Amino acid sequence: MHFGGIYEDEIVGKMYDRRLMGRFFPYLLPYRRLIAAALVLLPFVAAAKLVQPWILKLAIDDHITKGVMAGLPSLAALFLGVILAESLLMFAQVYLLQYVGQKVMYDIRVQLFSHIQRLSARFFDRTPVGSLVSRLTSDIEVLGEMFAAGIVTVVGDVLVLAGIVGIMLFMNVKLSLVTFSVLPFLIWTAFAFRKWMRAAFRQVRARQSNLSSFLTESIGGMAVVQLFNRERDEAREFRRLNTEYMESNLPVITWDAALYAVVETLSSVAVALIIWYGGGEIVRGTLSFGALVAFIQYIERFFSPIRDLSAKYSVMQGAMASLERIFTLLDNQALEPALLAPAATGAGKEKGVSCQTAPDEAGSSICFNDIWFAYSEDAFVLKDFSLQMRRGEKVALVGETGGGKTTVTRLLSRLYDVNRGSITVDGADIREIPLKTLRKRIGVVLQDPYLFSGTVAYNISLGDPEALKRVEKAAAVVGADRLIRELPNGFEEEVRERGVNFSAGERQLISFARAVAFDPDILVLDEATASVDTASERLIQRGLEGLMHGRTTLVVAHRLSTIRDADRIVVIHHGEKMEEGTHAELMDAKGVYYRLYQLQFKD
Amino acid sequence: MRTCRGAYLGGALLLVGTNLCGLAIPWLLKLAIEELQHPASGRFTPGQYGAMIAAAAVGQGIIRVFSRTTLLNAGRRIEYLLREDLYGKLLTLDRTYFSNWRTGDILSRLANDLTNVRMLLGFGVLSVLNTFIVYTAALILLTRISPFLTVCAIAPFPLMIFIVKKLSASMFKTSKRMQEALSRLTTRVEENVSAAAVVKAYCREDGEIETFRQACDGYSDASMAVAKIRGFMLPIMASTGAFGTLIILFVGGAQVVSGELTLGGFVAFNGYLAMLVWPTIMLGWILNLVQRGAASMARLGEILNASAELVEPTDPVDPGEIRGEVEFRNLTFSYGATEMLRGITLKIPAGSRVGIVGVVGSGKSTLVRMIPRLFPVPDGTVFVDGVDLNRMSLEKIRAAVGFVPQEGFLFSRSIAENVAYGKPGAGREEIERAVRIAGLAGDVARFPQGLETLVGERGVTLSGGQRQRVSIARALLKEPSILVLDDPLSAVDADTEEEILSALSGYYGERTVLIVSHRLSPLRGCDQIIVLEQGAIVEQGSHEELLELGGRYAAIHKEEQLKAEIERL
Repeated sequence: MHFGGIYEDEIVGKMYDRRLMGRFFPYLLPYRRLIAAALVLLPFVAAAKLVQPWILKLAIDDHITKGVMAGLPSLAALFLGVILAESLLMFAQVYLLQYVGQKVMYDIRVQLFSHIQRLSARFFDRTPVGSLVSRLTSDIEVLGEMFAAGIVTVVGDVLVLAGIVGIMLFMNVKLSLVTFSVLPFLIWTAFAFRKWMRAAFRQVRARQSNLSSFLTESIGGMAVVQLFNRERDEAREFRRLNTEYMESNLPVITWDAALYAVVETLSSVAVALIIWYGGGEIVRGTLSFGALVAFIQYIERFFSPIRDLSAKYSVMQGAMASLERIFTLLDNQALEPALLAPAATGAGKEKGVSCQTAPDEAGSSICFNDIWFAYSEDAFVLKDFSLQMRRGEKVALVGETGGGKTTVTRLLSRLYDVNRGSITVDGADIREIPLKTLRKRIGVVLQDPYLFSGTVAYNISLGDPEALKRVEKAAAVVGADRLIRELPNGFEEEVRERGVNFSAGERQLISFARAVAFDPDILVLDEATASVDTASERLIQRGLEGLMHGRTTLVVAHRLSTIRDADRIVVIHHGEKMEEGTHAELMDAKGVYYRLYQLQFKD
Repeated sequence: MRTCRGAYLGGALLLVGTNLCGLAIPWLLKLAIEELQHPASGRFTPGQYGAMIAAAAVGQGIIRVFSRTTLLNAGRRIEYLLREDLYGKLLTLDRTYFSNWRTGDILSRLANDLTNVRMLLGFGVLSVLNTFIVYTAALILLTRISPFLTVCAIAPFPLMIFIVKKLSASMFKTSKRMQEALSRLTTRVEENVSAAAVVKAYCREDGEIETFRQACDGYSDASMAVAKIRGFMLPIMASTGAFGTLIILFVGGAQVVSGELTLGGFVAFNGYLAMLVWPTIMLGWILNLVQRGAASMARLGEILNASAELVEPTDPVDPGEIRGEVEFRNLTFSYGATEMLRGITLKIPAGSRVGIVGVVGSGKSTLVRMIPRLFPVPDGTVFVDGVDLNRMSLEKIRAAVGFVPQEGFLFSRSIAENVAYGKPGAGREEIERAVRIAGLAGDVARFPQGLETLVGERGVTLSGGQRQRVSIARALLKEPSILVLDDPLSAVDADTEEEILSALSGYYGERTVLIVSHRLSPLRGCDQIIVLEQGAIVEQGSHEELLELGGRYAAIHKEEQLKAEIERL
């Protein structure tokens, strides 16, 4: 089995560095004062760096070679002062920039997270959790490294380089020009490596993402892996991805080492040129020893930032690749339907179609009008489905699994938008109701009760301050309070990841309490009473009766007993509405419902 | 580490080579300047010295490439092996472990902590070796130029080491705090993304962003604390190095004036000292790497050293073909502080069918999870074909057990791959048969790509009932001797349930079957039924016997019948 294709994170299309930086720049703007402060320090740091060889030159030419000791101590004191100043300024600068870096990372992280919150259910259906996690963690970490590695001080490095060139030319034009003859090689190298390293880095990031997706899923499904004795196969697949990832890193290491070595070698070659040419100048008396030594020191200082540039460049490339992926995610417009422009959703297109029952009659609460819906092209899950619900009515959807019952509830919450037809709540097309307003009105109990890590109280209130006040009452309504109070810490009991320390039934009770705590006027229960034993079901049933009172309720039911009290039952078969009526009516009709019923209770 | 010893040794030798070339350059400089000062005594022209320096530089560059790639590749290689070990370890850990750990936390360790360890073993080792070599060689050469000057120049070093030691202690603590904060942040993201449907349904986007902000805040603060200490180290290191230069200028200058030292010696001395400055600055950075790497290694150690409570027997008994007789002997099992099972004694003959009923939390699932050893089983309590489970290899028992959990976990692969998960290379017919028995054939036929339809992550595009049936088909395809169904039809409607149950009864044959259910309908045809309450068996017998007994089972039965009668009216 080879399923690599599924984990391959597409290597994203071309976005040039400049464009990426252009987009990144606005994130720095809020911190322009801090950055400006760091930049103001730059000339001073540069000056401190440039002055040191000059002091050495003065010491050699004016004192050491002439044998004049007077004045040497004061030059030494000056040197000390310069060094201390440089250190302090560097600290201030590094700290400021790291601070800005943390702030920028924070901003991007929150922006990205907020953006993800706005993406549609469809997006989550097909995007692995692992790849989103790595966008928000490791990709942003890499951006942080950019600040830690002092990329911004590159401006300072340029300043130092310019200063060195100036001073060298001032000291000796010819010698300077000879020394600078290595520069074209240096520039060529920098550009050539840029291209190679960028390609290599892309591959690294893509493979890293594959590995991370695989791990996320494999750890999540570990019990299944173990039950089916598939450890060896999983390990083999893991080794493949792990090997690919490691191998993609090796070219990066080689390029990096080569760039470092080339720069270092060119620096020494420049020193050799100084000795060769400068030596002749000294013999001819046109160059002092002090100047020669200063020249050598300057050239070393000239290359040292360039040598670090290769390290900085690696970080920079990593950051670019990460930025590209972050921006690609930020640009993902698979937004929730409600957040798109109205034109794109087709809202209002079929405005003319209204409820087929008279809307005024006791205020028809929810209307599904001739709905068609497909998750993927043309595979319609719902076909021409219509349903009218009066306010406070309780309608049960029954039918075989996969028949489209759950889809009906998802459409009501606008997790997806209908392909054709419309849904109205109190006469208003849900596409024209603000999404939050709509969802706040609907309490949903999902098929799979998801619990977060945090306390039981947090899981019921989800951190909503209003809901928090109603936690205990809500638990009591669904009969979960007794169970919760029996826990060592009651409502403050910690829920471990995905609620593994609770049974399926307990998890469900908690998710019921959650729905109650938000006090919605429409209630959607998706197979809510499944996998709860008869005793708990009775408890819940009682709680739900209270909850459903005065609320329009749509129940997706697999157990006929749970829909006993429904005002109306709608039978969905292969996405179409087959039967509709009260229990007695449907039993008399002796149709699908009658058959389902007989099957459930025959002995 | 051991596997890469060769690489480290080779890398170290190459580093010595690189540095020898590098160290030759100031010495050649010294000779060249001495030559320039006293042209008569010299053997080479400045041009020849220049050529020698250039040659040394080229040699240094070439060896540099090899030394760096050797050592950094070794770091990557160890990272690779370590990741392999970590994953291998995770594969052997049981449910108790995974329920105590958050997936996000494990993932963060596998990503970030592993990176820190790799940095330590690649770049860290490289820098340490480099520093060591440069220090040793430079000190020897410095002493040759002027012993007195050398002592003066390195005088501030002990002070530096003292400060660094002080700082490193707090560095360790803050690094650990930072890693933990990052772990928390990762968990938050993981949960948020996995539960997108819940977040949307309850309009908790803003609340989620708020909690995420808090997690980010915590991480930012911890990161800044680390940055502060690191930032503090940099100037201390740099100025200590530069202090040396100051001393040479003052003392060395005087020595040149008095003729004790040549100008060439002075320049070379300066050059060597400059070579020490960079490694000294790096020392602070390395220290940071070491601290972070050690903290991370400790966190990885928590995974690597996690005691696998599922220990393979040292001397496994091979019972041959497993017939499927299961026996519990006075089994008591605690999960954390809670006693989940109390004194369970039950004998299930091979080929018989057992139903298990009980209220939520009565221990039904825990009991059946013992059979494939998803939980650690106490010695002498669970026997299969008369052999203590702990004396049988895990692979053997798991191959014999088909287990269908309550919530089927599906992989992001095709339906066929998910069904054939326990039997890679299964033929199309086998897969189709399993799919048919599990009542999934109709659903599959409706998918455009049939069996090849991809299941979205965690099977989002399938309904709960469909997911459960995929996981039933997966267990059936294994052709197990013991089939365990842990309430597998909870999300399946009555019609389908009936269909599956009748198809299954044709499949059971000689297999031992355990069915956990909270309703009685799936228990039809069971040879014996047990009722669990608070982890203990309270009733046991056939359907008729239990009805006769008039206890809890009879009560549940009566209740279900009553309901049916009421609704029949």
